[in-house]
Amino acid sequence: MSIVDNVLSQQFQALVLKELLEVWRDRRALMIALGFTLLFPAIMIGSGALSFKVVSETNLNIAIVGSDYAPLLENQLHGTGFRIDLLREGIPRELLEDKYDAVLQIGKEFETDYRNLLSPKVYLYVDGSSKSGGRGIQLIQERLGTLQKTIMQQRLSARGIAPQVLTPWQLQIRDVSTPSSRGLAILGIMVPVLLIMALMVCSAAPSIDTSAGERERMSIETLLQQPLNGWQIIVAKVLAVTSIGWFGSLLSLAVLTLSFTLLPLAEIGVQFSAGIAELVAMSFLLLPLALLVAVLQILLALRSQSFKDAQIQLSILQGLPVALLMIVNLSDIKLDSPAWQLTPLIGQQQWLSLLMAGEAIPVPLALAGSLVTLSLVGLCILVGARALSRESLLGAT
Amino acid sequence: MIRVNSVSKQFSGTPVLKNLNFSIADGQITALLGANGAGKTTCLRIITGLLKADSGHAYVGGLEVSKYPKEIRRQLGVVGDREGLYERLTVAEYLSFFASAQGLAGDKLEFALQSVREELELSSLWNRRTKGFSQGERMKVSLARALVHRPSHLILDEPTRGLDVLAARLLRRTLLNLRSEGTAILFSSHIMAEVVELSDTVLIMANGTIVDSGTPGELNTRSGSNSLEDSFVKLAYGQRAGKRQQGEVA
Repeated sequence: MSIVDNVLSQQFQALVLKELLEVWRDRRALMIALGFTLLFPAIMIGSGALSFKVVSETNLNIAIVGSDYAPLLENQLHGTGFRIDLLREGIPRELLEDKYDAVLQIGKEFETDYRNLLSPKVYLYVDGSSKSGGRGIQLIQERLGTLQKTIMQQRLSARGIAPQVLTPWQLQIRDVSTPSSRGLAILGIMVPVLLIMALMVCSAAPSIDTSAGERERMSIETLLQQPLNGWQIIVAKVLAVTSIGWFGSLLSLAVLTLSFTLLPLAEIGVQFSAGIAELVAMSFLLLPLALLVAVLQILLALRSQSFKDAQIQLSILQGLPVALLMIVNLSDIKLDSPAWQLTPLIGQQQWLSLLMAGEAIPVPLALAGSLVTLSLVGLCILVGARALSRESLLGAT
Repeated sequence: MIRVNSVSKQFSGTPVLKNLNFSIADGQITALLGANGAGKTTCLRIITGLLKADSGHAYVGGLEVSKYPKEIRRQLGVVGDREGLYERLTVAEYLSFFASAQGLAGDKLEFALQSVREELELSSLWNRRTKGFSQGERMKVSLARALVHRPSHLILDEPTRGLDVLAARLLRRTLLNLRSEGTAILFSSHIMAEVVELSDTVLIMANGTIVDSGTPGELNTRSGSNSLEDSFVKLAYGQRAGKRQQGEVA
């Protein structure tokens, strides 16, 4: 009987159906899958929305103590972004604790020193640990810096000196990035890692249950007494576990896509460019990886001494691929080279990144990389089939 | 017919089976008796092909187990020392899976399911998931799984453990029916009354080998005992243990 006949056989179909029923009726596995896929994007959106709120908060409360001594500065700070209170006196620390985001303190000597070109000191008090403190410093520095520059130019001109004398060159920044490329930088790294995490988290519980669980319940003995090939048993288990892992990652993708419509991405100049075609392509690119994750988790769990042992090993090891992706992305390695694109996990992450930004992927490389991943899956299935014939699997040593 | 020919097996250097020899004829019920750790489960696992003998061979229906594992498994029905249920499947789904795994399909599959449902009185359990079943219900479902493909050889590892009176009676009746149909049945048990009632032949196993075999009457005669239990104690634990047991009774 050929492999194709074996796959199409009624025995194999019954085996796959049994594994699917077992996996999809496992309430704990479903709870983990739904919990992760729905909760994680919610946390991400929440933290994103909080960051936007901080960045785009419209009014900062500023107190100017001693504004009478420098009306010029007060005028410069008026305008959008600041709500200004003018105070004759006050202790900056107390004012910051009260309701102000920043306190500008101008001394009595300001007017005299300013006229005598003695560069009087102006003190800016902020609480750097508050969410608006850093932004307050930046905005006030920008406004006062502009005024300072104008005054300096006026003073130089009055003395017959061209202001350019003090400026040997001008550095002008031209940002050539597009909303799409900024999206690649932010979403392109974050989303693929999240999708790969979803694959691993959602697959973990069913892969443990279908291997270490079957072993602990001794139902594996009953299964091995049937006229089935070892590889058929492993393939059926892999397909069932993959179905839930892939479902989890697709659900994550759908929730994230919907979430992006809620986030004001345009305000930070980021555009979510992936369309239906890109999302479909991402789904298919995730499938070989889902198979690889499932078979590796099953192999690992089969080697474990007990259900609990498998849980511990898998929870420790499933953080590794994500950590690896982070390290590789932060390093100087050129990940767009063919060798890296053919490497499982890294290749998929690269293609998902491009698709997230609405860019085209190298189709031949993506196909070749998927084939490499599938070949590894095939190899792992053979290893798994051999593992099923180990006597220690039945507790016999 | 099941035949075990000079089978030896050891785990981590400790011999568990030592040159084991016996055979079981078709249409006969054979009981395998032995103390805990005597090697009964290892012996049954070698016959089912789950374990490989270090030396010697096991045969089922004339075929060598290690050479024809798939063919052997089609001829065998096995109830192991654990029921091997899938708790998220209903009884119908569970039995349907195992019948399909044995190659039954279409009308044959439906007929097999219907037969085993009636034979083992499973109607009230049929559409229930097996989670939460009593020990008796679990054993009944497990037995149904072993019988659904009508195997010519049946192996049972302590099948009556945890069964109530009615379930044990049903099991005995089923085994006797199967014997009359020509099925070769090998079972292990610690319940002597059950062994006497059911078995045509008794194999007594100690320290990884068969120390004696025969009908319960033959064993009693040879050991000079009045009951199979005494015969078993003498043969399995040796003369000293036998005397100690007699002293305790006196």
